[in-house]
Parts: sequence; C-alpha cells; structure tokens
Amino acid sequence: MSEVFLQRVESCAADAKSKVTQLRTHELLTEVEQEYVKQYVSKLWNDGITRRLSTITGLDLGQKIGIVYHFWQGKDVLHVRTTVPKTNAAAVSIVDIIPGAILYEMEIHDLFGVTFGGNPWMDKKLLLPESWPDDLPPPLLKTSKPSEIRKRLKLEVEGK
Amino acid sequence: MSETKKVESAGLMKYSTENLVPFGPIHPALKEPEYFKLVLEGEKIVEVIPRIGYVHRGLEKAAESRPWVQNMYMFERTCGICSFVHSLCYGQAVEGLTMYEVPKRAKYIRLIIAELERIHSHLLWVGLMGHWAGFETLFMWVWRDREIVLDIVEAISGNRVHKSMNAFCGVRRDMPENMEDRIVEKMKYLADRARYYREVIDTEETMLERTEKVGKVSADTAEKLCAVGPMARYVGIQHDVRLNAPYAAYDEVPFSIVTRNEGDVQGLLRLRLDELLVSTDLVTYAVKHLPEGPTRVKIPPIIPAGEHSSHCEAPRGEIFYYVKSTGGRTPDRVKSRQPTMANLPTALEMLKGQTIADVPIVLTAIDPCFGCMDRMSFLDTETNKTWTWSGEKLRQYGIKYYKERRT
Repeated sequence: MSEVFLQRVESCAADAKSKVTQLRTHELLTEVEQEYVKQYVSKLWNDGITRRLSTITGLDLGQKIGIVYHFWQGKDVLHVRTTVPKTNAAAVSIVDIIPGAILYEMEIHDLFGVTFGGNPWMDKKLLLPESWPDDLPPPLLKTSKPSEIRKRLKLEVEGK
Repeated sequence: MSETKKVESAGLMKYSTENLVPFGPIHPALKEPEYFKLVLEGEKIVEVIPRIGYVHRGLEKAAESRPWVQNMYMFERTCGICSFVHSLCYGQAVEGLTMYEVPKRAKYIRLIIAELERIHSHLLWVGLMGHWAGFETLFMWVWRDREIVLDIVEAISGNRVHKSMNAFCGVRRDMPENMEDRIVEKMKYLADRARYYREVIDTEETMLERTEKVGKVSADTAEKLCAVGPMARYVGIQHDVRLNAPYAAYDEVPFSIVTRNEGDVQGLLRLRLDELLVSTDLVTYAVKHLPEGPTRVKIPPIIPAGEHSSHCEAPRGEIFYYVKSTGGRTPDRVKSRQPTMANLPTALEMLKGQTIADVPIVLTAIDPCFGCMDRMSFLDTETNKTWTWSGEKLRQYGIKYYKERRT
C-alpha cells in the first residue's frame, strides 16, 4: 500500500466523518454516509487522489441496498461503500463530478431500483426491456425469483 | 411571401434539418446487438443516446445460484473473443478470498494465453477496420494471419475460442511439450506481419482518408468519461492494468506499454498494431522462460466469507470483477464490468460531429463488439418518411461518399 495514497484517502475520509479500513495489502474500504458521498467522491476525484473509477456495484444487504464505488490508483484499490433504504431507494448522483459514471448509475437503477438524483437519464432504461412491469421487484434483489420474471415477461410456455 | 409564411418556412427549415436516426439493435454477424439514437443536423451527428441490454442474459443473477467453480466457466462465456480474461479475472477475485497461492508456472501460462488472446483480438479488429473502410485485401490478409494464433491456442488448450484453461489457483492444462520453437517462430512471423500492416496503414490512401482526424476526443474528456484500455492510451493516458497493477506474471517479464497522442481513429490503428509487437515479444519471452513446477493447487469448494475485487487488462481495456462470499458453496454477489461498458460514454463523444458515412468506421474503431450495423433506419421528420439501409448499403455509402469527395 502506498503510504501517500493511504494518508490522502484517510484525510478525505475524516472530512466525510468516516473511517478507512485496510482489507488487504492493496485494498481499502471506506463506509460513508449517503449525505457525505458526493463530498467524499468530489475530493477524491478533483484533488487527483484517484482518477480511475472501475465501476459502481449494487448489493442487496437485506433491509438496505449497498452501493459500492470502486476506485483504483496504481496497485491500490479503494472501495467506497454507502447504503440506502430499500423502500423508495434514492441516492445522490456523482455524474456532475465523474460524467463516466452515468451508465453505471443507470445499471443500478435498472437492477436494484435505486434512483440517483441528478442523473439526467434516470427516466430511461439501459438493460431491462421497456415492457418490464412496474410492480415486479428489480431483478437483482434477493426477493426477485427468475421463475417469476420469466412468467411475468411471458418467456415461459404456459403449462410447463 | 408574407411575413408569417417566412417565419413558418424558417421554422420548417430548422425542423427538417434535425433528423433522428435509430441505429440498431440487431445484427446477426456481430457479437452484441446495441441500439443508438443518432440525432442529426444535416449530415452531422449532434447527439447520441445509447440503449443496451439486448443480450443481457442475467449472468450476475445466475451466478448466485451456481457453485463457485461452475461460475468460472459461465463467466468465460460472457465474450466470444476475450473469453480467457473473464475467467482469469473472476478466478483472481475468488483466489483473493482464499489463502492459497497460484504456482509460478501457472502464472506464466496464464500470461501466454492472455497475450495470445490479445493478438487474436487485435488482428480481428484490424481486419474489420479494413472491411468497413472498403479495404478488403487488408481484411483477408489479417484474418489469414489470425488463424495462426488460433491454431496455437487450439494446440495448447484444445479449443479455438473458449479455452477453459483456468482453474482456481492454477490452470487446467500444462503447456504441450516441444511447443517452444513453434510458438517462437510463429510470433516472429506475426511481428513481421504487424510491422508490414503498420507500414500499410501509414501509407495507404484509403485508410488515411477514412481514419485521419475522424473520431477525435481529448485526453481530459476521455479521463472524465472513464475510458479504459486502448481508448485511453490513444489520447496519451497511461492506463494499462498490466503495468499499473501487475497480475499473473506481468511483474516478472520486461515490457512497456504503448501510448499515442493523435486521438483519432488513425491513432487507434497505430496503437493496436504497435501493441501486437509488445504482445508477440511477451509471448516469446514467457515461452522461453517458462518455469518448471506444478500448474495447479487444489482448493476446497467452499470459499471463506469476505469480499474482494480484481481487475485485468482485456484486449479492449480494463475488466473488473467483484465477488462477495458468505462462506457458502455459491457466491452472494458477483459483479462483472466489461471494457465496452466503460468505453461507451467516450464512444458517444467520438460520434458527435461526425457524418453518417463515418459511423461504421468510428463504431468499429471503438470496439467490434458493437453489433447493429445491419438495421439502420432513417426518419425524415419533415415528410415523416422512413427507410432502412442494410449494413452493406451503409458500408457502400461510406466508400462512395469518400470517393466522390476525392474527385
């Protein structure tokens, strides 16, 4: 782990009232409250601490939905994790800081049902078909069953 | 003409020059159907809106109900070109959760296969660029040479495309005996061919005309749009996971990455052909310095609880896998992000300001994984008339457009 990288990440985390955990030699994790995510990411990106965003991952954590931003710089990887409630899941968008995140947020919107406030393409679908029923839970939630999806989307021949 | 009519006419003119061109989504000859809504002003593209997901097979959901090892071969089937690197990246992410080490010989074999895959992918791409630019001879030559790599891959793994070489903490097959001389000789031949093709694209008028100053993007824009791999390197960004965060045996072999500063399709062609030379050198070095020893460590089917991520350099750029285990026989969550997804925003930026005639060459330049060339329908908003062009018609149109401009 690069000492400089660790120190800079820790100083940003302190501003966002969160702590940095070292998972492995080159892997860091920061748990950030939703309200501080934008401030934290903005500092990481604009101060040049990391200019590489691999992707954003959605997680079903039972009562909540986890959103993990994966950054890296050299050999070091930084996961920034935040959570949002499952019902009326809403998160803040980072598209105005990192425009390249637009499709990753759309993907989580499609697959986990999280709405990112500030993302201009939240009204569009990226992966799911236009015919996706509104009352069907987003497909990557643990409660969503593939058999149910197939049935509702009429992908299964009746009687089988 | 009265004042009112003039205004109406002016309004109509503005309206009629703004055309919407639905581009895609289905093309049987290419690998991924995708759909782009192109907003045109005259012939210039001003806005592009993507719509993907036509071949979304729900692999991440499927992975949650399959054993760890079965997922490795399922994720290998994500792509028909860079299949190996998917299983490698997923494998590395899972290996990070265990306490087992990958044997050194296996790391070298992984490097050899990954680089052979890069050579075959880059050759395939150069051939397609020739095809879309109307330079069929280049397409035929390059694809003939690509067979050499596929033959080597088949001799090592038994398969041309889905190698199924990876296992957790090792590889499933050892390198066949007496392959060294053959591989070294073929790599030398391929390097010579790459040098020749480099000369061709630098001097051939057809290619220069179609690729120079086409699809321009600045380094700052590419970085903000999270471009990866060749799409970042062609604007001068040092973005290569092999060098930035070495995996497999990349920290033990000497190599340097290629970057260019042109920031146009011509620069991408030069970059990928130069990368072929790096890859042939890497394979030659690794084959000559292949260490002795075991090729695999067997690990239990239950992976300890935890979360880990891994990234590798696929032929098209950084590929990313994140795995989360709760200590069971199946993963709790697997996230996979392919380079084309990361490069899509940059691709949309490249298309802006181009003409319809440039669409095939720019889309191919981004990545041949964009299917959809065969169903392009045009809509004239003034007359509400629609018509459809096949991929071949569009290709012919592009060639004719540039021929007429030349005379």
